[in-house]
Amino acid sequence: MRQLRIALRLVLMQIRSQMEYRGAFWIDRIAQIITYSSSLAVIWLLVDRFTELAGWRWPELLLLYSFHVLGYAAGAAISFTQMRDLEERVRLGTFDALLTKPISPWLYIVFSGFNIGYAGHILLGVVLMVWALWIAPVDWSLLTIAYLIASLLSAAMVTAAFLTIIGLTALIWVRSNHLYSIFFGFWELTRYPLDIFPVGIQGVMLTIVPLAFTSSVPVAVVLGKQVPLLGDWAPALALLAGPFFVALAVLCWREAVNRYQGAGG
Amino acid sequence: MSAYLAFAQSGFLTQLAYRNEVWANLFGKLVQVFARVAIWTAIYGGAGVIGGVSLEEMVTYALLGGAVTGAARYETVVGGIGHALRTGDVAVWLLKPVHFPLYVIASEVGRAFYRFAFLVVPTVIFVALFYGMLPPASFFHGAMFVAYLVLALTIFLLIAALFGLVAFWLLTSFSLEWLMQALLNLLAGQLIPFWFFPEPLGAIARQLPFAWIVYYPSAVWLGRLSPEECLAQFGVGLGWAAALAFAVWLLWRRASGRVVVQGG
Repeated sequence: MRQLRIALRLVLMQIRSQMEYRGAFWIDRIAQIITYSSSLAVIWLLVDRFTELAGWRWPELLLLYSFHVLGYAAGAAISFTQMRDLEERVRLGTFDALLTKPISPWLYIVFSGFNIGYAGHILLGVVLMVWALWIAPVDWSLLTIAYLIASLLSAAMVTAAFLTIIGLTALIWVRSNHLYSIFFGFWELTRYPLDIFPVGIQGVMLTIVPLAFTSSVPVAVVLGKQVPLLGDWAPALALLAGPFFVALAVLCWREAVNRYQGAGG
Repeated sequence: MSAYLAFAQSGFLTQLAYRNEVWANLFGKLVQVFARVAIWTAIYGGAGVIGGVSLEEMVTYALLGGAVTGAARYETVVGGIGHALRTGDVAVWLLKPVHFPLYVIASEVGRAFYRFAFLVVPTVIFVALFYGMLPPASFFHGAMFVAYLVLALTIFLLIAALFGLVAFWLLTSFSLEWLMQALLNLLAGQLIPFWFFPEPLGAIARQLPFAWIVYYPSAVWLGRLSPEECLAQFGVGLGWAAALAFAVWLLWRRASGRVVVQGG
């Protein structure tokens, strides 16, 4: 309970400090919205010319894109910049100072760095998803809506867990940032249906870089499409992926903090 | 001039120091090239030719697509200039007999050469082993492709410098990096070549300077332009480069003038 209050306080402090430069903050958000829209426009240009991509049409690809943006933003807000900067904390030794404080270092790092910069993503993602749900061929029932929300949550959990595990490698190898470029290489692929990739890449995206669970697997389930390699297991696995990778990240965090020796020689 | 060569050389050498990073980048790049090829393979399905363009041509286009944008980083130029202007670090550069934007561009050129040799070329060869790749349409087109690549790098970095300088007035280079990405997504022809664009969008995109970054070099390699067109469009590209260089020079003068006013 006390931890929760502290987390809330840290988030409020972060919001207040970010809002100090309100003009620049919103200019940055608008720029991000424009850039994400331009990537979506490229997909639109593709289906405008070729009608479909591996059997996916515009409304379906729009749903996929909005899910990809929302799931990523929700997960990355509590992980990406914080864990990317862990490398710097380790190098400067400020992480060592955190270990002596009477509060979980994870809680402090994540919530003191809570990234409200993802507000732009969320805004765009919600608008696109409402649009997609309006035009996508889905038989809406309470069950599909519940599934959509639960799988979005699971997607955010996979994203946060994976970004956290990458950042953790800094505790052991001091440098971690180059691994993020591998992450974002795969991350861009999640804007497209998994079906279009060679089996090797599909396999990777369902296991060691589990980003298929952050978009194309759950969206294919909602749309009633076949998921390559997973088949009938897809609906359940999309929901279980989140808790599973979060548990894995928790284990990794404990192990890494235990093994942490500091960067200095 | 030799000073800028030295900056480029040191840019090249600093990359050698971060070999792990280069390996990770190579992997990330590889995935993206695979993705572009996969998208076109999926679109073509069983069809061999769509709109007069074969799948082999599109795979080749996808492979060549990252030649310049994969080697040079616009972020370092936009961010580098933006950061120096915002923090006042630029004052130090005003004391030196060096043109600051040109310095930032020169060191990025050095890094770009490194990445071109150790990231782009290996990636292209590796993916080409799986999917195949067409040779240049003719010897002339191959030679022109090399010239177009140099022009592409020049235009790419000049646009980046321009965006970095605008940061001085906007006070945030972050948003300008993103906006530059947005324009590249749509107008460089990175994923979709302009011959697949709906008209008049395609015709407009062909005239804008971004087209010389990805579209024209790849189209020249594939022989989509006749020899006369190759030379004519190269001339237009040179014109764009000159205009951009002038704009950078002008904005730099204005920005550095304002630094003096702000300092103290």
